[in-house]
Amino acid sequence: MAKLLEVNNLHTRFKVRNGYLHAVNGVSFSLDKGEMLGVVGESGCGKSVSMMSLIRLLPPAAQITEGEVLLDGEDITHASVSRVNAIRGSKVGMIFQDPMTSLNPFMKIGDQLIEGIVYHKKITKADALQQAAKYLKMVGISNAEHRLNEYPHQLSGGMRQRVMIAMALLNEPSLVIADEPTTALDVTIQAQIVELVKSLREKLNMSIIWITHDLSLLAGMVDRIMVMYGGYVVEEAVLDDIYKSPLHPYTIGLLKSIPSLKTEAGSRLPSIPGAPPNLFSQPTGCPFAPRCTYRVDRCQSEVPALTAVPGETGERPHRVACWVDMRGKGVKQ
Amino acid sequence: MTDQALLLPQEEKQFSLAKDAFIRLVANRLAVVGMVLVVFLFFVAIFGPYLTPYDFLSQDLLARNKPPSWEHWFGTDDLGRDILSRVIYGSRTAVIVGFSTVSFSLVIGLFLGALGGYFGGKVDAFIVWLIDITMSIPSLLLVIVINVSLKPPLVNWMDAQFVATGNEFYRNTIWVDFVLVFGSLALIKWPKAARIIRGQILSIRNKNYVVAAEALGVPTSKIVRRYVIPNAIGPIIVYISAALGEAMVLESSFSFLGVGVRPPIPSWGNMISDGLRIWQLYPHVLAAPAAVLAVVTIAFSFLGDGLNDALNPRQWK
Repeated sequence: MAKLLEVNNLHTRFKVRNGYLHAVNGVSFSLDKGEMLGVVGESGCGKSVSMMSLIRLLPPAAQITEGEVLLDGEDITHASVSRVNAIRGSKVGMIFQDPMTSLNPFMKIGDQLIEGIVYHKKITKADALQQAAKYLKMVGISNAEHRLNEYPHQLSGGMRQRVMIAMALLNEPSLVIADEPTTALDVTIQAQIVELVKSLREKLNMSIIWITHDLSLLAGMVDRIMVMYGGYVVEEAVLDDIYKSPLHPYTIGLLKSIPSLKTEAGSRLPSIPGAPPNLFSQPTGCPFAPRCTYRVDRCQSEVPALTAVPGETGERPHRVACWVDMRGKGVKQ
Repeated sequence: MTDQALLLPQEEKQFSLAKDAFIRLVANRLAVVGMVLVVFLFFVAIFGPYLTPYDFLSQDLLARNKPPSWEHWFGTDDLGRDILSRVIYGSRTAVIVGFSTVSFSLVIGLFLGALGGYFGGKVDAFIVWLIDITMSIPSLLLVIVINVSLKPPLVNWMDAQFVATGNEFYRNTIWVDFVLVFGSLALIKWPKAARIIRGQILSIRNKNYVVAAEALGVPTSKIVRRYVIPNAIGPIIVYISAALGEAMVLESSFSFLGVGVRPPIPSWGNMISDGLRIWQLYPHVLAAPAAVLAVVTIAFSFLGDGLNDALNPRQWK
């Protein structure tokens, strides 16, 4: 399949009072047209910042120091501000985490939906509103024409998230970045939104990057999963490989932490001991080493590179950054 | 799905936010009362000279302290001056003071507040420090200090200039009251406006919907116009309404205490002060200005409340 997005060695850091906070440390991955990628990690592991860096949607304190992002072969990291604005409005759609605060309370749903296309596609407001109504129907909002004329507070959380999705789709983007779009919603609505995104993806043939900290949510939804830790990509493989034969101790820990129905009442839920690394100082070794049960000496002195090994299913390689060979349980040379 | 089905239904009209807010404001009865009274006040203040039945200065010593009658609707005061005319001129004083105080404090406040909120860091720290310092100055004390320290030398200097040059400009020293006293009032009333706008900008800049708009590729100028300003303007409009009322009451309080507008220029404050000396014998002398002041204060607070509700879509039902 044709490549839509290619990210090479991306570094993003934040300027803070006493130096720099290294949020993204050399992230590389690619995305095919129509492919769906899940990005997983704990809070503060750099998953949101790295995906926001793709379209340079960063606070002023952040800067991309290295690397390049190629969307359809066009370098976004070095593009002009106006070009980035145009790309945001036409090729990339964003769905945000908190639908309750992501809509301007002073603007009607309709006005807000068409903001992007009126500006970027130079179509009339009436045409844009028709288009908006069409997409509202597509995301499952009944009485769409009436809703266009309402304010965000008149909608429920699930409906607002549907509006956010419609807003992201309205530009007919080739890439949609969904930043934990279901975190603020309850479980039934979450399932509805997941189903919605799956069906829309088939219908519109978009590439989707779905950021989440909930590995179980991605099952049956995405094609590939990328696991991030401390601003590094630690593992990346197709869905089945990640679930059935994870190769990084962090991924193994994440999968073990998913409570199942078989978990006995009263027993402790499994967890990964320790906390995510401090991003102020760059680690000399593997960022996960302090919490890792498979740790060997080399882990503390050298950062393992992301290396490809043959995948168990399919021909896509399984990429992992670990000094320990989890298949053979030996130390790599 | 046909295109026809997607057309907006005819009966559902699209209103702008301002129009929506106005409809909500009008639906609120108390706000309408407040609005009518405030509009009436401004009308009287602007067209005062054409409305007064008598000259506010002309005395009729044969008709002193007369109760309300057809000739004098609000009666006459202890110098036989028509109280209605004086109340009308008092509204001019109040409105001039209210507007100048509020507009000066607004300009300073908006500028400094926006500066602090936008740039943050050291600039913001300095402006917050300035706000704290300014807010610690008691307004009454400041006005009294200015009154006794700055005003007499200035008035004397102007008198001397008039004698020396004969220039009419130096003759009338009344406006010195306005400029000095209420200019200084504006100088210490700005922190409230500054704090409001600073807080608004700080919070709105980081709001998710601003980031969402950026993600849609909406240009910055449009984000400021359509996202930041509408979200910030509500509290500012409410502040203006409340501050106008407050400034008028302050003007009356200072004039009441003799540190505001000097007689014979009428102010509700100095009229109340005059009435207070003889109210046991002639209550109407006190009643008229006191009632007008009370009504105006209440009108502004009704209007402010109504505006607050009307401009905030989150409170709409």
